[in-house]
Amino acid sequence: MALSGIQIFKMTPKKNCKECGCPTCMAFSMKVAQGAMDISACPYMSDDAMAQLSEATAPPMKTIKVGTGDSEYTLGGETVLYRHEKTFVSKTRYAVSLCSCMSDEEIDAKLEEDKKVDYDRIGERMCAEMLYVNYAGNGVDKYVSLVTKAAATGKVLVLGCEDADAAKAALEVCKAGKPILNGANASNYEEMSKLATEAGVVLGVSGANIDELHDTVEAIEKLGNKNLVLDTTEATIKETFATTVQVRRASLKDTDRTFGYPSIVNLAKIAQGDRYMQQALLSLFTMKYGSIIVLEEMGYAEALPVFGLRQNVFTDPQKPMKVEPGIYPLNGADENSICLTTVDFALTYFLVSGELERSGVPVNLVINDAGGLSVLTSWAAGKFSGNSISKFFKENVEDKVKSRKVIIPGKVAVLKGDIESKLPGWEVIVAPLEAVQLVKFMKDLQANGEL
Amino acid sequence: MPFNRKPQKFNAAIKSVVIGSGDKTVTLGGENVLPFYAFDGEIKNGPKVGVEITDLGMEGEPESVKAYYEGAATMGEIAKKAAAMEGADFLCLRLAGGDPNGLNKSVEELIETVKEVADAVDVPLVVEGCKNVEKDSELLTKVAEVLQGRNVLVMSAREEDYKAVGAAAGLAYSQKVGAESAVDINLAKQLNVVMTQLGVNADSIVMNVGSAAVGYGYEYVVSTLDRIKAAALSQDDKMLQMPIITPIASETWNVKEAMATEEESPEWGSQEVRGISMEIQTAAASLASGSDAVILKHPQSVATISKMIQELM
Amino acid sequence: MTLFERVFGGNDAVYGLTEAAVDAAIAANGEEKAVSFPDTAYALPCYYAVTGVKVTNLKEMKEALGVVKSLMTRENQLNDVFMSGVATALCAEFIEAIKYIDGAKPYDEPCYGHLSDAIIRELGVPLVTGDIPGVAVILGSAPTAQEGVDLVKSYQAQGILVTLVGGIIDQCQELGYKTGANVRVIPLGKDVTSVIHAVSVAIRAALIFGNVTAGDAGALMTYTKDRVPAFVNAFAPLDDVIVACGAGAIALGFPVITNDDKDVPAIPKSLIIQKDVSKFNATSLEARDIKIKITNIDIPVAFASAFEGEIIRRGDMQVEFDGSRVDCCELVQTKDASEVEDHKIELIGPDIDEFEVGSKHSIAYVVEVAGKSMQPDFEPVFERKFHSYLNCIEGVMHTGQRDMIRIRVSKEAFNAGFRAKHFGEVLYAQVKNEFEAVVDKCQVKIYTNPEDCTKIRHEIAIPVFDKRDERLSTMTDESVPVYYSCIMCQAFSPSHVCVVTPERLGLCGAVSWLDAKATNELDPNGPCQVITKEKVIDERIGEYEDVNEAVRKLSQGALDDVSLYSIMEKPMTSCGCFECICGIEPFSNGVCIANREYAGMTPLGMTFSELASMTGGGVQTPGFMGHGKHFIASKKFMKAEGGVARIVWMPKELKEQVAEKLNETAKELYGIDNFTDMIGDETIAEDPETLVAFLTEKGHPALGMDPMM
Repeated sequence: MALSGIQIFKMTPKKNCKECGCPTCMAFSMKVAQGAMDISACPYMSDDAMAQLSEATAPPMKTIKVGTGDSEYTLGGETVLYRHEKTFVSKTRYAVSLCSCMSDEEIDAKLEEDKKVDYDRIGERMCAEMLYVNYAGNGVDKYVSLVTKAAATGKVLVLGCEDADAAKAALEVCKAGKPILNGANASNYEEMSKLATEAGVVLGVSGANIDELHDTVEAIEKLGNKNLVLDTTEATIKETFATTVQVRRASLKDTDRTFGYPSIVNLAKIAQGDRYMQQALLSLFTMKYGSIIVLEEMGYAEALPVFGLRQNVFTDPQKPMKVEPGIYPLNGADENSICLTTVDFALTYFLVSGELERSGVPVNLVINDAGGLSVLTSWAAGKFSGNSISKFFKENVEDKVKSRKVIIPGKVAVLKGDIESKLPGWEVIVAPLEAVQLVKFMKDLQANGEL
Repeated sequence: MPFNRKPQKFNAAIKSVVIGSGDKTVTLGGENVLPFYAFDGEIKNGPKVGVEITDLGMEGEPESVKAYYEGAATMGEIAKKAAAMEGADFLCLRLAGGDPNGLNKSVEELIETVKEVADAVDVPLVVEGCKNVEKDSELLTKVAEVLQGRNVLVMSAREEDYKAVGAAAGLAYSQKVGAESAVDINLAKQLNVVMTQLGVNADSIVMNVGSAAVGYGYEYVVSTLDRIKAAALSQDDKMLQMPIITPIASETWNVKEAMATEEESPEWGSQEVRGISMEIQTAAASLASGSDAVILKHPQSVATISKMIQELM
Repeated sequence: MTLFERVFGGNDAVYGLTEAAVDAAIAANGEEKAVSFPDTAYALPCYYAVTGVKVTNLKEMKEALGVVKSLMTRENQLNDVFMSGVATALCAEFIEAIKYIDGAKPYDEPCYGHLSDAIIRELGVPLVTGDIPGVAVILGSAPTAQEGVDLVKSYQAQGILVTLVGGIIDQCQELGYKTGANVRVIPLGKDVTSVIHAVSVAIRAALIFGNVTAGDAGALMTYTKDRVPAFVNAFAPLDDVIVACGAGAIALGFPVITNDDKDVPAIPKSLIIQKDVSKFNATSLEARDIKIKITNIDIPVAFASAFEGEIIRRGDMQVEFDGSRVDCCELVQTKDASEVEDHKIELIGPDIDEFEVGSKHSIAYVVEVAGKSMQPDFEPVFERKFHSYLNCIEGVMHTGQRDMIRIRVSKEAFNAGFRAKHFGEVLYAQVKNEFEAVVDKCQVKIYTNPEDCTKIRHEIAIPVFDKRDERLSTMTDESVPVYYSCIMCQAFSPSHVCVVTPERLGLCGAVSWLDAKATNELDPNGPCQVITKEKVIDERIGEYEDVNEAVRKLSQGALDDVSLYSIMEKPMTSCGCFECICGIEPFSNGVCIANREYAGMTPLGMTFSELASMTGGGVQTPGFMGHGKHFIASKKFMKAEGGVARIVWMPKELKEQVAEKLNETAKELYGIDNFTDMIGDETIAEDPETLVAFLTEKGHPALGMDPMM
């Protein structure tokens, strides 16, 4: 059972020395209880207390780091099975699959394609962060040259290689980039673990079935290696799903520490070349516990939905997503086009901008800083008020837009008078209550010449 | 040590709701494990896939959808092709043209379409309204009436019009009623409570707890579905044990990712493929969280999702 | 004659007629002759519903008569009256059924006779939704044709379905009044037995819409009583047969209103004598508890939320009412039903057109409501909505509340015809619509004479306001029988449940016990549910078995148990919308409180937002809890740990806000004067060491209390 902040505090030296970086021992204890800090950050903890606490506060699922510099990613460290319980900690990462069986042209083409999908969505960079480099047993040199080429992209590599010699040679050329060596199984784990440990990289472990996987992980842990990820891919879609879910559930719900590691799900193996099936599974395993998902390709068709999904799922259930405040001209709006203003809650923005785009009427969508809350919530919290809107317009809009008409959400019709008095020269028009009514409303305004 | 399996067994199950009549019926729900957790216990009834058509026919549909329906000139013919789609378990007719802010077709005109479609096919039928509360209370009442005996699912009764739709579909004409709420477990439950208080049998209700395309506030959909399934199974909450149906097509084909033409966004590639991708990925996510049925429209999506379900059973 | 004699006599007469009719029909057609009504799947619906037996031919009808006879007991109990009434109705059904033998069409225009299942399904939906708010059965001839038609018209205007039996049909025809199913005025037939066709509608509605099993007479009567809002208007003179039929109606839960006072013994709520036919409508609606929805507010300007933010400048203003200068007030008062005439709007004093343009005046409006479920505790809940109601009127601006209101009416609205009574129309319509669950009748009095306003403000309104405030401040957790849950913010904090008590309001600060109570009564399935507190587990920390049960259920099992008064043991969870967070400060043995507005550091070493991220999300965090500002001065604040004496630090601004009340509480609990002077703030300390030094200097009580952990 997890310890509360108070229980942890009782074991601290209560010196408020601030050496851990927290102003008080209480603050430190609360952070440890949350899993945000490690107990070892306290230099004055007694050995006795430390031993007690390390066991009790050790997270059920290890946090594994891969990659370096800008391409360093954290995997695992989850504490809950559902996002509504608490924010998921580590996003699913995606690896495009390469194989030493491919020709140079094929490889170059694939790498070129992979480079194209790299864009920004609501402040987050979206691209497949990893490359999965598979060894087909067709010669160490060929593999090394492929690994070298892949490493040059700067992406984190996952070496799919169960052959010790090939793995050793590949690690020589890429270990600085902290790749994953995904190659340990029931028969080779000792050798592979040694290789991974020596190279200082994470080891991927697989098993013919979930029991063998469990045994193998246990054996590797006995060797002292706890820097692991678990390849939960099995022969079929059904078995892969079963193993992936059970591994995660066992670690978080049933405190099976052996399975307390991030997972790798290799869709290239189970989707059998069906691009659409691969997409269905991409979504399924992003929802259900794939830490790294390997796939044949990450084109825009795959990326646009899955990165949207990931951005939604891996959010704080208590903090709404925000968009950047500012002016968003739609349908070719210019400085003479009417303004329509709303809040920076991402969902509101998407709904409103979608409907406005559908109306085809040029309009400047002005997004206020409203703390990322919805219209009524931000209004109730005083973050979307006559003051805040007029201030935002004076500072950010008046010098850029010549139109002096602004449409406000129907739900805050109550602000009309207030805004008019605080924004002299502006005419305030009240929109309907729901975004879906905007298309007709905008078209009507246009038809009546009120723009 | 081998893995110590601890299956999650529940002493509760999702209700089974049958739609359709004669020998063409389909059962929604009935499971007593979490979505696709076949390793915890047998899933008697896998999730189902419906094909959406609208009263607008092929107008505004993507090219490859049109291609599939090529040669179908009337709503009846369209319905026949839709029902024959590979992987389809039921047909969903959405009466989009009734929207007063859109085409504003009359109830009489729409009912003619409903009859034409119903007469053309014998597969289980779902009829969705136009989303406008006032119009739907009139329209769906009439739909329930003219389809007497077909045991269709009428969507949807909402907080504002549940009395009219619930009374007509659930009581007067013995159809199944869709209860639609906006991504909130408590609203979903409240609607089921008032519907049953109205007299609608709890076994005649299918929930639509709200939907979105992935990337568009989909986190709320995930959490609502997750929480409802948890409450239904682990808390044995009878008022949340109705199966869940989620319209996907009507959400995903309207977002930028599916709408932007290749001229507008050349780097994004084929518009068609993007649309299918949004539909497939949203449907898969929705099923992963607990939908017992999804409504799709593209033949590729229907085939893929239904294949995925088979693979996981 | 007594009611018994009349009903029994009428019943016997009808039974005799029925027996004769059945025998005659058998003689003419033979026993095997089929009997049925057209277009129904329920045979003879009334008999089928009551007994579960379908009568299909004359032989069966004859047997059924024997069953009917068995209902006709004569013990002189009220039940005998009702059963004889039912028997009379069944007899009427047999007589009517015989009329349909051989596919005969016994009814001619404009009469309908038997109504088909299809019509019932069609009418049933609006009945269930309330679009048809009631069903009137009008029987006999009105004193004059005009009075009869006026009554029909009054129901029709309210959307009520009207069925006609006997002389009233001729009266409608005489005046050329249009009837028919499409206008929802349905003449059934001229014989009194044709009233059974109205009963048949109610009964088939129960079978179709109520899932009532045929033969389950108890369930049938419960359904018709609770769900079929029908009533009977029977004109004088009533003969015994009509009285017996009336007993049947009453048995189904349908009150009978008549203008015959000769030999008709009134039964409260069931058999009502109303001499004045023009009052039949109001009397019937009240007796059957029918509420008419107001779809249209009768004012000359628009009414919509889009006008809520409208500002009316001095120059555009026709007239102003200003509570800060002259006596004004707005008030809701609960009255007895007999004191309220629904939809009466009274203006006492000059109207707006008698005032000079741009002038300032007094106004007082009193909304008087009556209702079986109305409680004075709802009055302030209604009043708080007045601001938004009046603001939604185009050309009207309203600010403030209670006796500090200001209203401006624009010239434009005035020119469109807006007058003082229209305030009343809006208040009436909104109160009736929004609080339908508890308001049966509503009337509005508007005063514009300065002396009236002064009197109402000082002699009525202010004492009421004071009394309410007093009630709020003296209400304790012990003084109320139940608490309420609030799960309004579960969308953000899935497992959070607030337990709202008089002394511990919701942690958002927005939901008091009274608010939660009103929310519950107005919307029984809504976010606030009753929590009983009968099974005490631990008085000290405020833990109850029933509260735990409720929390477990409402959090979908995420929480097992909570205490109401402890921060250390099973503290209540927090959502994310708390006004304040209170956290344990171990070095001073007390707690620090930070409010949402405070951005700085606290002696806990955490800011408000850091505290919020640790405390929120519906998770129990011993030592930390979210709460409303008003809770700080509550005697229940951390009662288990010693109460408010534990408070050692608050931001200065918050301290000033709560000082008065907190000092009072501390004085009362511990006899300490000016307790807030002993509490630290950000100008004194932002770290534990400085804080402890300050507390020591002030002799803060927390330092000497038992350790908190």
